[in-house]
Amino acid sequence: MTDTASSSGGIRPDALVRPADPASDLEKAALKGRPKVSLLGLGMLSPAAVLLLVFFFAPVVLTTIFSFTNMTSATGISGGAYVLSPNLLRELERSGVDSDTLAALGTESVVVDQESIAAARAAGVEEDFLEEIEDDLLGVDFDSKQDFERALKDLPSHLRRTRDLKLAADHFLVSALNTRFATRAEASDAISALAPDIAPGTRDRILDASYTGWVWTTENFRRLATQPETLRLVLNTFFYVAVTLAFNVLVGLFLAITVFYLPKGTGMVFSVLWLLPRITPVVLYAIMWKWFTWDGGFVASFADLVGLPSFNYMKGSVPTAWTIVILVNGCIGASFGMILFSGALRSIPMQQLWASEVDGASRWQQVRYIILPQMRWPILFVTCYQSMSLLSSYEQIWLTTNGGPGNTTMVWALESFRTALSNYTGNLQYGQGAAMALVLVIVGLVLSIIFLRMFRFGELVEKPKIEF
Amino acid sequence: MQIVLKDFTKSFDGLTVIDKLNLTINDGEMLALLGPSGCGKSTTLLAISGILRVNGGQILFGDKDVSNLPSQKRNVGVVFQNYALYPHMTAFENIAFPLQVRKTGAAEIEERVREMARLTHIEPYLDRRPGQLSGGQQQRVALARALVRRPDVLLLDEPLANLDAKLRLEMRSEIRRIQLETGITAILVTHDQVEAMSMADRIAIMDHGRIQQIAAPEDMYHRPSNTFVAGFLGNPPIVFLEGKAIGNGAFESASGMRMPLPERLTGLAADQPIVMGVRPEHFGVKGRHTVRGTVSFIEPQGRETHFDLTVAEGEVLRSIQAARTDISLGSEVEWPLDVDKALVFDSEGNRL
Repeated sequence: MTDTASSSGGIRPDALVRPADPASDLEKAALKGRPKVSLLGLGMLSPAAVLLLVFFFAPVVLTTIFSFTNMTSATGISGGAYVLSPNLLRELERSGVDSDTLAALGTESVVVDQESIAAARAAGVEEDFLEEIEDDLLGVDFDSKQDFERALKDLPSHLRRTRDLKLAADHFLVSALNTRFATRAEASDAISALAPDIAPGTRDRILDASYTGWVWTTENFRRLATQPETLRLVLNTFFYVAVTLAFNVLVGLFLAITVFYLPKGTGMVFSVLWLLPRITPVVLYAIMWKWFTWDGGFVASFADLVGLPSFNYMKGSVPTAWTIVILVNGCIGASFGMILFSGALRSIPMQQLWASEVDGASRWQQVRYIILPQMRWPILFVTCYQSMSLLSSYEQIWLTTNGGPGNTTMVWALESFRTALSNYTGNLQYGQGAAMALVLVIVGLVLSIIFLRMFRFGELVEKPKIEF
Repeated sequence: MQIVLKDFTKSFDGLTVIDKLNLTINDGEMLALLGPSGCGKSTTLLAISGILRVNGGQILFGDKDVSNLPSQKRNVGVVFQNYALYPHMTAFENIAFPLQVRKTGAAEIEERVREMARLTHIEPYLDRRPGQLSGGQQQRVALARALVRRPDVLLLDEPLANLDAKLRLEMRSEIRRIQLETGITAILVTHDQVEAMSMADRIAIMDHGRIQQIAAPEDMYHRPSNTFVAGFLGNPPIVFLEGKAIGNGAFESASGMRMPLPERLTGLAADQPIVMGVRPEHFGVKGRHTVRGTVSFIEPQGRETHFDLTVAEGEVLRSIQAARTDISLGSEVEWPLDVDKALVFDSEGNRL
């Protein structure tokens, strides 16, 4: 039974083994050849790989890292110390820490010893005065700062002005407040000394709060998810991207088709004019828009002339501010779209347009039925590309309305930039800004995956099946 | 419908390429515009279709002057060399397009597209896009699209140039069949003499923007009006021998070779410079004069064999004969020449 099966089936053990030999030979040959090829390939790829790593991968990784910290310019990016500041005590009191404990932490004592005298001398207090302090008051205990100041006034060569006296007295005050403790243990000892009855939980809480360096936290994301401004930012960003994108595509298409039908010379002049927003340096371009919409600038004067309200159209009202923001970005994007669409238009064989004319199609029908359907790919490309770049671009808004009036034209990218790198109060919140940037990166990634899926890029970039 | 070109003139950027061309295409005939590239044949076709504007003269469709009408209003059907099918539409949509832009009803579109598909034998492919069709099928779709709205004239711009040899033969007879079935007036632009001769009722041969001769194919081949026409038609081409008449009905070539003139031209005055044209099929088979020479080239073609016979320094006669293998390269032969079939041209190139 087994014999017949094996012979009729033709599967003999040796038959299974035999083909392995030439195959392994082939494999050997392939292996022999492979390292050479892959080394060369790696060599050729390495610059690109390094660039990719440094300029694309590293920023995302760093952003991710920063977004899970509470780094600000106050914490710095290296480690910090433990400091009990009066502000911190006030904050702790507000958040429900026992006020007696806090009062204990805030007490000051007067210590007159060689060390404090040396400190006062270094600060430039008069030598005669210091010598008298050393002679009369060294080692004396005072109940309060007032007692100490009174004692100082009794000294023969005391300072005449009360202010100077008070300043001199400050050198002898000792307090846990505003002292930088390098380690947690030192800070803990100091707290225990001042408030011996403190509960360990409260002490740890105070220690955590007093740390000036950065710590790992998910607070940034929690804040983003809960603060009401987030929704406002999201809606603003969506509105900005959608409307600007529509402007880019529609105006770009309109321009490309118009230029396509214009006589060559006129079309050239026209398209170069429309390229100006793209080739003008962005700062100059933004400043020109500022001048244009200034109070008393062209737009305001013109509005005055025709009886419309005359004001700063860029910053004076929300609808005009949005209009300007969209026009500023839209003109740049439209010229980009125009270039791309013009190229695509020129690749449609002239005979097809001739054929449609002979078939009786009017200009409009030609555009509608012959040109637009064949512009699918460039339109999709501009849509994808521009939605990504608009999502992450903020420079034009920053240079024009800067999110104003109020925060009405603020978008996600600009808010992220302001939080992390251009904060008005001066405390740059790297962590919070990075968290916002990370959200943007994730949204961008998700969008690009959706675009790739939706428009089947692979199919679109396939070689054409018809030869023209 | 009869198409008339009256003093048609076309220039590009001030350079006149066609100057006062006159041409009449009779109702229901297929006329071939034949000529080398750059002779103005495609320009003429595009002007008739309205894609190019005329700079002078008139174009008449029947009695109607269409010279200044845009192509949309001319009712012409054009088949372009690359077919110019709309790649994003199916074959059906391509054929329906001329009707669709006229807002024809859906039922009528359906009926007429089907009718055209039947005529051009593309019914099974109507739902395919041009990218999924072969060259011959694309050609048929382009024909159907050109014919679907019953144009006054069908214009074919090098319709077979993009097809392979076998398909070309097939489409040649197909286009002719469809033209005859529909009875449409057609103009065929081509640089291929075989295409022109096999498809057209009449041929207008063009060179440098001028029509050299208009005649039926047979007529044109046997009675070319000048050396250009004689040289353009026929493959392998005619051989020209320059020389002069020497009286007594004889001709002497530049190298001194003598032969009798055709019977009808024996009266030519002595010393008149003339050009003798000898077609390959009139040499090597029969004739009253014999020519000696050395076989300098042999090209077997299966059914027949082509020979070049060097008769003197710089003078080569061509012969086409039923396939033979008894002649080898370099052999000396003496072949008959049918001098009465020879064509004779004056020094200006016009046939005598």
